Amino acid sequence: MSNLLSWIIWLPIAVAVVLAFFPKDAVGAIKTTGLIASIATFGLSLLILNHFQEGVASFQLVESHSWIPQWGIRYALGVDGISLWLVLLTTLLTPVVFLSSWNAIHKHPKEYVIAFLIMEAAMIGVFVAIDILVFYVFFELTLLPMYLVIGVWGGANRIYAAIKFFLFTIAGSLLMLLGIIYLAFLRYHDLGRPDFSIVGLYGLSIPMTTQAILFGAFALAFAIKVPLFPLHTWLPDAHVEAPTGGSIILAGVMLKMGTYGFLRFCLPLFPDATAKYAKWMIALAVIGVIYGALVAWVQPDMKKLVAYSSVSHLGFCVLGIFALNQTAIEGSILQMVNHGLSTGALFLLVGVIYERRHTRLLADYGGLAAVMPVYATLFVIAVLSSVGLPGLNGFVGEFLILAGSFKTHPTATVIATSGVILAAIYLLWLVQRVFFGPVTNEENKSIPEIAWNEIAAMVPLIVLMVWIGVHPNTFLRKMSPSVQQLLTTVQKGGERGNVMVASRRVILSREDGEGSRRARPFAPLRVTR
Amino acid sequence: MTLQPLIEPGWVNAILPEVILSVAGMVMMLVGASPKLRQATAPLALIGFVIAAWSENLVRAGRFFGGTYEISGITRIFDITFLLAAMLATLFAREYLQRENIEGGEFYALLMWGTVGMMMMAKGLDLLIVILGLELLSICIFVLVGYHRRIPVSNEASLKYFLMGAFATGFILYGTALFYGATQSTNFADMSRFFATANPSDPLLTIAFVLLMSGLGFKLAVAPFHGWAPDVYQGAPSPVAGWLSVAPKAATLIAVIRLFAAMTPMLEHAVWIKMVAALSILSMVLGNAVAIAQRDLKRMLAYSGIAHVGYMLIALLTLRDESVAAIAVYTITYALMNIGAFGVVSMLEKNQNDPQTLDDIAGLGFRRPFYGLALTVCMFSLSGLPPTAGFIAKFYIFKTAVDSGHVTVALIGILTSIVSVYYYLRVVYFLYMKEQPEAEAVPMDRGIFATGALAISVIGIFVIGIFPTPLFEMAGAAARALLP
Repeated sequence: MSNLLSWIIWLPIAVAVVLAFFPKDAVGAIKTTGLIASIATFGLSLLILNHFQEGVASFQLVESHSWIPQWGIRYALGVDGISLWLVLLTTLLTPVVFLSSWNAIHKHPKEYVIAFLIMEAAMIGVFVAIDILVFYVFFELTLLPMYLVIGVWGGANRIYAAIKFFLFTIAGSLLMLLGIIYLAFLRYHDLGRPDFSIVGLYGLSIPMTTQAILFGAFALAFAIKVPLFPLHTWLPDAHVEAPTGGSIILAGVMLKMGTYGFLRFCLPLFPDATAKYAKWMIALAVIGVIYGALVAWVQPDMKKLVAYSSVSHLGFCVLGIFALNQTAIEGSILQMVNHGLSTGALFLLVGVIYERRHTRLLADYGGLAAVMPVYATLFVIAVLSSVGLPGLNGFVGEFLILAGSFKTHPTATVIATSGVILAAIYLLWLVQRVFFGPVTNEENKSIPEIAWNEIAAMVPLIVLMVWIGVHPNTFLRKMSPSVQQLLTTVQKGGERGNVMVASRRVILSREDGEGSRRARPFAPLRVTR
Repeated sequence: MTLQPLIEPGWVNAILPEVILSVAGMVMMLVGASPKLRQATAPLALIGFVIAAWSENLVRAGRFFGGTYEISGITRIFDITFLLAAMLATLFAREYLQRENIEGGEFYALLMWGTVGMMMMAKGLDLLIVILGLELLSICIFVLVGYHRRIPVSNEASLKYFLMGAFATGFILYGTALFYGATQSTNFADMSRFFATANPSDPLLTIAFVLLMSGLGFKLAVAPFHGWAPDVYQGAPSPVAGWLSVAPKAATLIAVIRLFAAMTPMLEHAVWIKMVAALSILSMVLGNAVAIAQRDLKRMLAYSGIAHVGYMLIALLTLRDESVAAIAVYTITYALMNIGAFGVVSMLEKNQNDPQTLDDIAGLGFRRPFYGLALTVCMFSLSGLPPTAGFIAKFYIFKTAVDSGHVTVALIGILTSIVSVYYYLRVVYFLYMKEQPEAEAVPMDRGIFATGALAISVIGIFVIGIFPTPLFEMAGAAARALLP
């Protein structure tokens, strides 16, 4: 299949459209169709691995069709080592969501399934778009389904959380849109014809002041999405109010759209600004690591605890990205996947007992290990993965990030390392308070054990936690060349400064994606009418 | 100055759509007079609009009536926008008027004659032709706004629009007279020759320009000439309000484009363009800020409309073919999404003298999925989110602004867009997240005409949002032909 990526995006949308015509009451059929569609999408996405060539740095499986020729916008898709695993994470987590919420959603199940399918397609689109406007379209398209998921199926204070989520994100992304337009304007003057392709934009040489402003516009959008301290305030609200499935996708994939954005756009497009502001980004990331951990420590609510742990863990990812070296960035990408697996699993498991007891307060639990042994085992594995126990995935990611960033920013790294210790404290404390000790609450004595669908949702996550922990090379091998090329782009940018000679740089041409290169002659500045 | 015969061969062909609509309007009056045939007026009106739209293909491009009337690609696009708006209004009006028991042939006739007026505004190469068209349009609007004659708000709205509109026309006429005094012509081509060498600091020109822009600004409902819009939209029958919020603005915009094109060499240097920028910024800020406070859907859409004209004015700050194309794309998009939104409001079965508030649509999204979805699509399109037409249109405007160096105005536009997301989103909140028991909910008139119109809106919004290329090609070619 030459248009595999399109299939992966459009299959869920097509199924969602078909589902819209299903009768409201056919709940079983709707859920089954949704699950099968998402598993089929996952199966298709596994084919990407088949076609993905290791050792190739540039975009693969490229599709490019003219979309809006007047503006030079192409419907262009492709994956490289940076986006590959995030696509697979997305396609994996969607069936997990459907499985875990099989019996949990009683209100409007049809719309629930449709929302998640459209969200899945949009998130995949974000990761595989290689035209900046296509990226933007998918980036915005993720918002409406998530807004509805939080607002319709969420908890008591869901409206506030949903609107806050939407407004925070849209504020950032609309400013980024202006940045995109300006970038395209610069590219037009450089090339003489409009062009929005990401690879084409990498070739731009932008004066430092402009870079700084554009970097700000893009970084704001992505920092809100990550979320980076102090823009994180929407996240705990959204997570606490969202239904379990919403939390899994929000933490598992949507936050990664921010970190991915840094890697795909901020670093290679604005190398000088990146070099200049990296230390500030790192400072914010480290503050986020510590602050998130400390706040998580004092949360009485399990879901809020996991939400703040996300702030802390995503801080590591940003630290790794702006350390600007191979080890740290690879660790960072791996940690994005790890966080998706382990935090996704934690949200899922918190949802499991919330379904049964309708409370998330730590104080209401205790001694659950005796009542629900299988559940307790799964929970402890997820916690240990999140803590970073050697042998599980979290350790590899965090180790690579810290080892890499120590080379460039030793002080920040040392401070951030304490975040690992804090994570162990608050997560193990969570385990101790919920699972061990005597069963103090009478109601907890009769909680039913974790159900088949929830176990089925957990199994793939745990398999991957162990796989990444034991043999991370399966994953790292495929991302290395792309990361290397990214760093070359950043360093070249840093060296060349503002010299216009740079526009002679060799870039990857858009049309013949398969890694061939050609030199682009200097395009004279054209003045519009 | 040599006198030319005003009636050249082929003149009938030139104004074929106008002739068809005028005649069809008279037929409407006759058919509507018979109580038996009254049922048939709306379908007949639709046929009339379709024939008029089809006749656009027969019309030969060129200049007629002594160079005062131009038929070209751009007038064709705007004609289609007017006809689209009128057709959607007819579809939404049919069941609304029957429900309120006020259907009559004159309603559709007035829509048709109003459309003729707008076509004259779009095609006139002489300020006097523009004013003639504007007056024809305004008279139709006065009556249409007050068409629900038995309820007080409709009468109030009509009177308000009439009084304010009379003032606005006065300003326009006075401005035109002063322009005539300065340039010895009301013809855009002659004015253009004058402006090529004119002195921009001439106070006479400044006063004329300010007067003219005040009057046209009233018709556009830009701040600070917007005061009438919320009251009139609230009082007017909802299908009329939807049409009124789109079509007359489009007609006025194309007239403003012609005026600006005539003044172009001088416009960019004078302080005048700064006044236009001020109007644009004020409209965007005020429209979006005040819309937040509205609970009445029609008033909210009125303020959002003020903001949307603000966005469109951004494109006028530097007149290039791109900006004209952007405005053409924006108006046709705006017709689809805004009339669609007003259409959903018009389908609410409640006492039309009471305000239609957000509470009336509570829970609609799950109770009536299609209407909820349609209103959601319209709201997202209005807020400019992909993959809707609203995104494409807004992107075009901002792209034009950045390309012409108006980055600051574009930034203000973006910032106010963020504000606007809040109140558009609140509609979606009421649609899907506000529970409303079936028994207490405001019932919806699910008539086939209105539903069909809504389907046209939704499909149109997605088609332009996802495949904008054909429209861009048309608008781009038309705009290049308009500007020398």
